[in-house]
Amino acid sequence: MISAELLDTLRALPRADKLHLMQFLVSELAQEEADLLKPGLAYPVWSPYDAVEAANTMLAMLKATESERHA
Amino acid sequence: MRNAERYPFISVESTLGEAGLQPRLPLTLTHHEQSVTVVGLLDTGAMVNVLPYHVGVDLGAVWEQQTTALRLTGNLAQFDARALLVSAAVGQFAPVRLVFAWTQAPHVPVLLGQVNFFMEFDVCLYRSQLAFELCPKGASA
Repeated sequence: MISAELLDTLRALPRADKLHLMQFLVSELAQEEADLLKPGLAYPVWSPYDAVEAANTMLAMLKATESERHA
Repeated sequence: MRNAERYPFISVESTLGEAGLQPRLPLTLTHHEQSVTVVGLLDTGAMVNVLPYHVGVDLGAVWEQQTTALRLTGNLAQFDARALLVSAAVGQFAPVRLVFAWTQAPHVPVLLGQVNFFMEFDVCLYRSQLAFELCPKGASA
């Protein structure tokens, strides 16, 4: 949380220091974004997002067992 | 969302901070009187529900007796999968029937996908609040 005291300190900085601080923060944010995904590591994506055939088979199974339950 | 239950996002990777939080839902699966409580990932991008091999075994399911073979996609394409029908209890709601693609993949999380978790439950994700709400279909009207 940014305190009022910190904001007052920042406000009092000379223009050049404010610009420098801004560059520093942008650099920090960019680094944090880059750190989310590390090079050389594998990030498996398990989602079967286009498993149409499997989805149809499973829906048919649900429907068939539903009919059995009501038979 | 009326009649909904609210759940917090759960941290699955602490080094990622807030980015490591995911919508994971605790639910109890029952198959032939045998029950297991799992935590499933709400995966809107998954076309089907996915059950890891060991959870099916814990439920007492026998691979050879599940004769409906499935062909999955992506990272799961390399593993055999069979359809498995179970009863699922979420929170205080009445149990529903969920059909899973029971995969032989060892490390996959329980995935709750379109067929048929999202056909049974209405879900609202509030990422900024790190929470989600859900209720059975028709219950929120």
